[in-house]
Formats: sequence, C-alpha cells, structure tokens
Amino acid sequence: MSSHKNPAARNLFFVIIFAIVIFILGADLDPYNQGQLAVVSMLLIGVLSVTLLTGTSGQISLGQGALMAVGGYASALTILNLGLSMWLALAIAIIVSAMAGLLLGFAAARLTGPYLAGTTLVLALALPSLANRFESVFGGDVGLNVDFGNPPSWLISAFGEIGYEQWQLYATVPLTCLALLATANILSSRTGRMWRAIRDNESAASLMGVNVSTNKIFTFVVSSGFAGLSGALYGLRGIVGPSVYPISLSLLLLTGAILGGLRSIAGALIGSALVVFLPDLIEWATRPLALSEQIGNYLPGLIGGVLLLLTVILNPGGIANVLHHHKNK
Amino acid sequence: MNTLITTLFLGTTRGAVFALVALGLVLVWRGAGIVNFAQMGQAMFSTYVASTLIIKGYGYWFAFLIALAVGAILGAIVDLAVMRPLTRRSHAGVLASDSMRATVPVIASLGILGVLQSLAGMIWAAEERGFPTPVSDVAVKPFGKTAPFTKFDLFIIVVVALTLVVTTLFFKKTGMGLAMRATALNPEVARLSGIRISRVRTLSWAISGVASSLAGLLITPSANLSPNTLDLILIVGFTAAVVGGLDSLPGSVVGGFILGLLIAVINVYVSPDDVFLALLVFLLLVLILKPGGLFASKKVRNV
Amino acid sequence: MLEIRNVVASYGSVVALKDISFTAEIGKITTVIGANGAGKSTLLRLISGLEVATSGAIHWQGESLLGKSPESIVRMGVAHVPEGHAVIAPLTVAENIEMGALFRARSNKDDVKLAIGEVYELFPRLEERKNQLAGTLSGGERQMLAISRALVSRPSLLLLDEPSLGLAPLVVEQIIETIKALCISTGLTVLLVEQNANTALSVADHGVLLSIGSVVADQPAPLMRADSALRSAYLGY
Repeated sequence: MSSHKNPAARNLFFVIIFAIVIFILGADLDPYNQGQLAVVSMLLIGVLSVTLLTGTSGQISLGQGALMAVGGYASALTILNLGLSMWLALAIAIIVSAMAGLLLGFAAARLTGPYLAGTTLVLALALPSLANRFESVFGGDVGLNVDFGNPPSWLISAFGEIGYEQWQLYATVPLTCLALLATANILSSRTGRMWRAIRDNESAASLMGVNVSTNKIFTFVVSSGFAGLSGALYGLRGIVGPSVYPISLSLLLLTGAILGGLRSIAGALIGSALVVFLPDLIEWATRPLALSEQIGNYLPGLIGGVLLLLTVILNPGGIANVLHHHKNK
Repeated sequence: MNTLITTLFLGTTRGAVFALVALGLVLVWRGAGIVNFAQMGQAMFSTYVASTLIIKGYGYWFAFLIALAVGAILGAIVDLAVMRPLTRRSHAGVLASDSMRATVPVIASLGILGVLQSLAGMIWAAEERGFPTPVSDVAVKPFGKTAPFTKFDLFIIVVVALTLVVTTLFFKKTGMGLAMRATALNPEVARLSGIRISRVRTLSWAISGVASSLAGLLITPSANLSPNTLDLILIVGFTAAVVGGLDSLPGSVVGGFILGLLIAVINVYVSPDDVFLALLVFLLLVLILKPGGLFASKKVRNV
Repeated sequence: MLEIRNVVASYGSVVALKDISFTAEIGKITTVIGANGAGKSTLLRLISGLEVATSGAIHWQGESLLGKSPESIVRMGVAHVPEGHAVIAPLTVAENIEMGALFRARSNKDDVKLAIGEVYELFPRLEERKNQLAGTLSGGERQMLAISRALVSRPSLLLLDEPSLGLAPLVVEQIIETIKALCISTGLTVLLVEQNANTALSVADHGVLLSIGSVVADQPAPLMRADSALRSAYLGY
C-alpha cells in the first residue's frame, strides 16, 4: 500500500476518517452524550500530551492539569480582556502554555522519575493559588466565565439546528484532529526517534549525539502546548477557575494514557474515551444493584484505581497493546 | 516578638510531623528506590480506623496502637501486592528502561492512593471528622501566663523525638537495622551476604507505614479528617525529604523542621494562600542549587 | 566438589559463556584465568546466583545451585567476593564484617563471635580500624574486608573475583598467601578468578583457561604455568 511509504499521508487519512465518524456520530446523540464526546475530544489532546511526555520521552508530569489551567486562563483572559475571537484565544493559549512548559522544562531537564513527579505535583498545587493571589485578574475561586459562543451560520445551514453541546463537539473535533496529526507526525519523525532514544537509555542517546537536555525541554514545550489547548477548550465549556482544573485532572489524564496504552495514539484515544465514559458505564451497570449514593460516588474512583494498578502490573502496554498483539496473531 | 515565638513553636510542632512524613518517604526510597505517593493515603486510612474505634467507645491509646498496626500492614500489603510484582516484571516491555522503571512505580502509587481514598469514601462517607487529642490542646498557662504552646504540642514533640531515638537505635544497634542499611546502600553485596532483601524491603514499607500513620494521628486533630486531607501533608513531606537529600534519614528529619518553620513563617507573616507557591519556589531552588539536598557535601548526586 | 556442566549464559544476543564444563576439587585452589571479557566474572555470578544461566548445571557437593537465589546459595556454604573490593563504604569495618554473618547471627551466636575473632586475627589491620568507615580504607584493606565479610559466613566454597585488581604486588601476595594458608588449615575450597595469570597459577592447584566464553585448557596449575605455547597464545607473555 502506497500510504505505508508515506506516513504523513496515512496519518492524514486516519484523522479525516476519525473526524467524519465523530461528526456523524455527534449529530445523532442526545445533548448529554454530545457533551461527553466533546469532553473526550478535549481530554484526548491532554492525554496526547502525556503520550508525548511520558510514553515517548519517559518523563512524568503530575502537573499537566496545571498546564491545562494555564491554557484556560490564557484563552479566557484573551477573550474577556482583549475581545479577540475564540480561535485566536486558543492559539494564544497554546503559545502561553508552551512558554510555561519551557520554564518547567528547564527545571525538569535536570530531574528524573520521582523527583520530577513530586515537583510537578507541587506545581499543580501551587499554581491555582495564583488565582486567589491576583483575584482581580483571575477571578479568585469563582473564576472567569467564558463559552464557545454560537455556531456560525454556515454550519447551521449545513447541519440544521445545532445545540450548544453539539457545537462544543464540532468546535473541538477539528482541533483534536490537528493534535492527532501533529502527534502522529512527531512520533514518526526524527524528533520522535530521539525522544524514544532518551527514554530507553539516556547515556546511549547522548553518546549517539542526541542533545538530551535540549530534547527534554523541547518535549515539555510541545507537551505543554497540547495541555494548554486541551485546558482552554475544557474551560470554554463555561468556567475557567481553580475548581475546573483540580489535581485529580492531572491524574485523570495519566490514568487515561496508561489504561489505553502509554505509547500509542490509539491508546490515547481509547484511554480518553474510557476515563470519560467509565463513570457513566459503571452507573449504568450498577443501577440494578441500587447502590447507596455513598458507594456509587466513589465506585468510579475505586474501579479506575484498580484498573490502573492491574494495568501497570499485568499489562503495562495498556489496551492498545492487547489489541495490537491480537491483530498480529 | 510574641508573634515570632508563637510562630516558631507552631513551626516546630508542624515540623515534627513533617519530619515523620519525610522519614517515611525516605525509608521506602532508600529501601526500594520508590517514592510512595500513596503514603499519606495509607495514613488517612489508618487514622479513619482509629477515629472509628474511638467513636465506638474504645480508648485513645488502644485506637492509637491499632492505627499504627494498620499502617504497618498497609505498607507491607502495598509492597507485596503491587510493588514486588511490578519490579519482578521490570525487565519486560514498557518497563525495560531506567526512565520507565523510575516512572511506573510512581504511577502505581497514585493508583493505590486512588483506591484507598475511594475505599475510605465508601466506608466512612465523605463526612469530615474531627480527631481527639490524648492531652489538652488549649495553651498551657504556667505561672498564670499564657504560653505559646499547648500540652498537645508538647506531646507531639515528645512522641516524634522518641520515634527518632527508637529509629536511630534500631538502625545503629540491631541486626535488622544493619540489614536494612546494607540493602539500601548496596543490594548486591547485601544479597551475597545472605540478607533476604525482598523481606527487608517489605519491612521498610511496613516501618514507613507506621511512621506515616503516626504523622496522620498527630496532624489530624488540627486538620479534620477526610479522604483527601493528608494529600497536602505528603507534598510538604516530599519537599522536606528532597531538602534532606531524599536518601538521608537525619537529613529528612532536619528537612521536616525546616519546612515546618518555613510554612509557619509564610502563614503568619505573608499569607496562608502563598504557602504552596513558597513551597514550589523553595523546592525548585533546592533542586537547582543543591540537587543532593541542603546537607550534601562534595558528592553531587544525579537526581 | 564443584561441578560445572555444559553451562551456557547469554545476555540478549551476546553469548557470554559457551558450553563450559570443569570441576574444582575440595580443599584446593582452582583458578580461572583468561583475558578481559573471557566470561570469568559471569561464571562466578552464575555460581553465586546473581545471574541466571541459559542452560547447563552447576552442583556444589552434589546439590544444584542453578535457579537458587544468592541468599539461599550463601546458606549452602558458597561465599562470593565480587570484583572491585565490594564493601559497603558508608558502613563501618565492623558492620561490613557483621553483615556477612547476619543470616546466622541468631542461630549460631557463639560461632559468629568466633568467626569474627578469626578474621580479625587473619587481618589484624581490620581490627585496628574496626570503627572506621569502610570507605576510608586503602584498596588492600578493602579487599581484606570484602574477604572477611565472606569468611564470617563460614563458607566451604569461596569465590574470589580479581582480588589483585588495582593492588600493589606486595599486598596481593599477602592476601593470596592468607587464602592459601586457610585452604590448607581448614579445607576451604577456592575458585579464584584472575587476570593476573602468573600470580594465580603460582598459588593455585589447578588452572582453567577461558577464552571468549570457552574452556581452552584445564590442567594442573604448575603444568599450565610451564606451558609457554599456551601462555603466549592466550595470556600474551
């Protein structure tokens, strides 16, 4: 097949298929599930940031949620204070969070494993307190109100009446597709190979002439840009505030990436869908059991944690790895 | 002047608790090369057990001892059920590189944290609970003057000091203490000496569980109990451990006290809102300027 | 008797040992010599359980060692002194020695005391420095300490990996003579891995010559020492 010889063309082909499927699927769903699907598309960008950072270059960050917050605030402030369009605000969100990633990367390039995890966790805790520190700018605990606005008229004339959730989905998916495409191209490029070399053996990579710290910083920049875009979209659903980007959001991205498969785009896709729909799925499956609210509220967390543990112990390659092996048999 | 003294006392009592948390982290880091982000989740769980016993009418000290035992057992279970199987498979597939061997246990410990917090939520609901103190927690008044500390503060200091003395004696004077130090410093030579290092590691996890449960019991009276309350303490303990060099037991204790004082000063003189920002700045400064910890001599370690 | 039968060891695609067989007699010093990379250290690590063989069999006094953990193998009387004066530098001299007997400290309290006394007698310099950190010792003293740590486990088989590495000839001679005397007085069996073939063959009873993972000669040490063709082909002197 000629597409095998040209990975960029093959990637484009798959992404277009993905976009078409989501657009068609999205039109028929009820508003709740349209909203959920939109969240999947938003978080997928965040999970891809983990795929790049942890899966590809072997660095861990528990602060991706904080970088999402950076993107969220950047876009909200752009829209509210500069009156720019949502699309421009998203671009600015990417740039600002990438710059935050640059700063973080300088510190991170010197750190490994647990040190990096701890430091980024402290970052995730510290950053939201800025929202209160500069309340007049960031709106304190309440946050800033932003939204996706109204769908353009040409879209309505193409699809008919478009609900708010559906518009969230339709506005997000093209950006998700761009992120997928960018990730696929990075993974198959020379840069991706250098990142993997660093992940697999830092000293060997450096002997082969890979500049380890520059590449680590670069990974952080790219990954942070992804997280920022994801966070900006996530905030556009209504509010950009500390409660929208809690620590658990960082863990959610990480869980999604691990469960789906840390090393592949397919894994990121499966993982983001899983973490968004898992609570619904559990609710649906346990409805006949009539569980108390107390149990029901914590069941998704428990099952998520157990799945995470089972995955790292028994199947560290995640679901994508299982499917891949199955296909090859 | 009075504020300063109060601040210093507050910093010292809090610092004592942070020292315990840091000690727990360092024990597992030295023994198994893992930073256990679930540590304060384990402590939360054992503190809930103690709280439940007290509510059911058992005495404080009985609940106290049971909580420590639960801490030890949880620590051992974490090692036996998760970390040991994980390291046994660590040469295959996704785990086959140094960077991932350092990263994956972190992820596993977060999974454990999630499981423990959800379980606690299911069993004890999300209701916030207070936690009693064994001695009075109103300021003591010697000679009719209000002193800047309470009997409970003194209790904390005494308990932590005793723990540190016992821990030091254990490591310096007992065969098991020697086995633990040898395993931490050079597992290969330890194994060749006949030390069963996987048992020693499980014991490290158990002792770490006791230390962190103790920290949980001591801090909860001033911080209310809920499934997530102790997370922030873990972050402070981690910073304290890094300040101490992450693999030095005395360093972690000193780091705990430094953090206690730093946070008390920020709380009183700047703003409670800025504690975590200050923590982040302090942590980054230490990692960049003294990556081996504040007390590292010439030997610089690659963090 | 230590029996090595058809042992193969490989790491990934690299074969470190290709079908090695030889035996080491009880109470004798058998030396395994050969150039760097011949697989000598790998062999010792297989015997002590630090590495796992791909195939083959290793028996000590009739009991199989393969597949057992280093912790269990020490309890079977096999003590390994790895390459590079393996002591734990931040522990004191006394602690390093005590460590070697920890596993039998409770069951054999008196004998442990006795064994520790004996190694101090063997190496009086260690007793003088017993409260010093091992990291402050000279290279020769560290090697003595590493050997002492192994001896207090009361081994019947001692595996020595390159004890001469980086040491002055006089110190090497002293250490080797001590080991030789121990063999004669206690019936200790020694498997000595050395790059310094001349020293090793002068003290050993039997020699095994390894080259790139294979046994190329297996004969009494004096014979091997006299074989100038062998020497020039494999040892380069």
